Amino acid sequence: MNLKSERRGIHVDQSELLCKKGCGYYGNPAWQGFCSKCWREEYHKARQKQIQEDWELAERLQREEEEAYASSQSTQGAQSLTFSKFEEKKTNEKTRKVTTVKKFFTASSRAGAKKAAEEKTPKQGQLGRERNADNILRDLKEIFTPSWELSSPSEALAGKLKEIQEAKAPSPSIHRQASIETDRVSKEFIEFIRTYQKPGQDIYKQCKLFLDTMSHKRDLSIEEQSECAQDFYQNVADRLQTRWKVPPEKVEKAMDEVEKYIMTRQYKYVFCPETTDDEKKDLAVQKRIRALHWVTPQMLCVPVSEEIPEVSDMVVKAITDIIEMDSKRVPRDKLACITKCSKHIFNAIKITKNEPASADDFLPTLIYIVLKGNPPRLQSNIQYITRFCNPSRLMTGEDGYYFTNLCCAVAFIEKLDAQSLNLSQEDFDRFMTGQTSPKKQESDSFSPDVCLGVKQMCKSLDLLSQLNERQERIVSEAKKLEKDLIDWTDGITKEVEDIVEKYPLEIKPKSQALAAIDSENVENDKLPPPLQPQVYAG
Amino acid sequence: MATGAGAAAGGRSFSFKVVLLGEGCVGKTSLVLRYCENKFNDKHITTLQASFLTKKLNIGGKRVNLAIWDTAGQERFHALGPIYYRDSNGAILVYDITDEDSFQKVKNWVKELRKMLGNEICLCIVGNKIDLEKERHVSVQEAEMYAESVGAKHYHTSAKQNKGIEELFLDLCKRMIETAQVDERARGNGSSQSGIARRGVQIIDDEPQVQSSGGCCSSG
Ligand SMILES: Nc1nc2c(ncn2[C@@H]2O[C@H](COP(=O)(O)OP(=O)(O)O)[C@@H](O)[C@H]2O)c(=O)[nH]1
Ligand SMILES: [Mg+2]
Ligand SMILES: [Zn+2]
Repeated sequence: MNLKSERRGIHVDQSELLCKKGCGYYGNPAWQGFCSKCWREEYHKARQKQIQEDWELAERLQREEEEAYASSQSTQGAQSLTFSKFEEKKTNEKTRKVTTVKKFFTASSRAGAKKAAEEKTPKQGQLGRERNADNILRDLKEIFTPSWELSSPSEALAGKLKEIQEAKAPSPSIHRQASIETDRVSKEFIEFIRTYQKPGQDIYKQCKLFLDTMSHKRDLSIEEQSECAQDFYQNVADRLQTRWKVPPEKVEKAMDEVEKYIMTRQYKYVFCPETTDDEKKDLAVQKRIRALHWVTPQMLCVPVSEEIPEVSDMVVKAITDIIEMDSKRVPRDKLACITKCSKHIFNAIKITKNEPASADDFLPTLIYIVLKGNPPRLQSNIQYITRFCNPSRLMTGEDGYYFTNLCCAVAFIEKLDAQSLNLSQEDFDRFMTGQTSPKKQESDSFSPDVCLGVKQMCKSLDLLSQLNERQERIVSEAKKLEKDLIDWTDGITKEVEDIVEKYPLEIKPKSQALAAIDSENVENDKLPPPLQPQVYAG
Repeated sequence: MATGAGAAAGGRSFSFKVVLLGEGCVGKTSLVLRYCENKFNDKHITTLQASFLTKKLNIGGKRVNLAIWDTAGQERFHALGPIYYRDSNGAILVYDITDEDSFQKVKNWVKELRKMLGNEICLCIVGNKIDLEKERHVSVQEAEMYAESVGAKHYHTSAKQNKGIEELFLDLCKRMIETAQVDERARGNGSSQSGIARRGVQIIDDEPQVQSSGGCCSSG
């Protein structure tokens, strides 16, 4: 599979709408319908809010960390030397933060506008995208995306800002949930990191720095951002090992937490980014899977029999797991969903075959599960994991094996043809176009727990196709009848003509009419009375 | 990917990924189950699955984590090979000595692997089911000569009788360690430090400390 995606240009719809602010200039969808000047003003406002918010959040976390650290220090009997050193370092860090914020203010609005353009353009109807597909996508997003991602960045900003201001009066807003989640992760991270003492502080600082650096690099291509993340993982791991002499198992654990912390924050910028065609590929796969709804487990040689209740239970669980993947933000959590799904598949196989599953069993079953579940944003999730997961997990670990199999399943589904299902090309084409369904022949053999509606539907389909057949038969028989009738009349006509030819009809003059015959017979009078013709008048 | 790690506990440690390739029914699954579980055609196998198995070894003080990836052998999945063998350190190409076709398949795999991965990958060609010697259809000489000609090593095994399997994996591990070390030396003895600065993500060291010049792997 091609894991490197080509970059896709941003299509800007050069519509002729005027600026939304009514200043008289043309607006541009890339600037949310504003002209460039008004957009810069609007964007600048939003940007400042964000800076404010980032700043307050940073402050808050800093405070929390300091307090927690201070309290842990004082309980240990206040080693004033290390503590003052720690304080000093914090101050250093603060000064550096201030310069960062300054950079924000002086940063050219061009970079800001560009980033915003990337975030917003495609939602407003790109050229060459089917309206229909767009709707489906929106539906999907609405169903499967935590709703905070749907709101425009400036809305979210305003929400967050408000929430920080009135932190004590909880408002049930969605934005709040999102940032609560992010804050929770931050808190947990700080707590975890503290158990690592000095190396922990170092990790925290590196993470902060990385996030800060990345916030200036949003206009890099996604592959470049991915490389930054990969380098960062590698660097932190090396540093823990060589400089801090942290044992390998603890390094691994720390790296998991680092990934969780930074990716929770990076997710909204780097998952299915608008600069790639991930989204387009998602739709293509989704559509493809829908078109393959007719594929049966038998065609894939899936070694599980869903008639066994426990097995069908496992199948349902596996499907749920793989669908759940999309709802996670951390690459490792997404991987965990794939692993859970795989374990349920293994159980299904083990119950059916009573032997441990080999790859020959596992892959077809996984393909079947993916076809049945049609998990949302499959490509985006695969790409995101590939780009931002800590590589040591993907390369050799068990999770990596299952992930690779998922990639294989998707690649197989994309390329699947008649041959790969052992079908004739004609059958494959007929199933693909929906002319017939292979299920029709088996509709009597439902497993007992198929829902009533589906059963009813299959029966109706059956009836309809029978009806269709009968109608066709009637039409063809009617045609035959028509032809028979025509043939019959033709035949009669011909016979009549033949006879007429053979015995030409001589038409005699009127005098030979029936009534005159007798009158010519002069000897009538001599006949005895009963035979004497009775003559009527007229 | 060979990950050098763990200078802390004395010796080096390595993580290797090995893929199993070959036609269906040549005995791939049987080989790993024999190696990792010491079982053959056993109905009482405790592992849930035999598609991904791991084994820890200690070879001359070097710790090795071996991850063995089974692959789906059905013809319809052949095209997926590259997704499986990406980043592998070793490949075990299995054929059944009683089945000439399966040996032909191995030759195809070798061609593909060399083309896609070059010489970085350690190849093992394995003639399995030597307990069925009287039904042999692939000559020992031909197989061994072929292996040599493509820079692979040849092994004779029987999963049924547990013959040659231990040797196969041990030998493969030694070769992979060697390859990893050669590779590391070529990269200048740093396990990963190369080419990071150019991307502009730097680790800030505000507490200058004398770095051990050799990096993590110097003790090796
Ligand atoms: N006689 C004999 N049979 C074997 C040996 N290894 C595997 N088999 C049999 O070959 C068949 C296929 O084995 P399996 O491990 O499933 O092959 P795979 O499809 O390559 O994974 C099974 O019936 C095994 O019992 C062996 O060394 N000797
Ligand atoms: Mg097998
Ligand atoms: Zn304007």
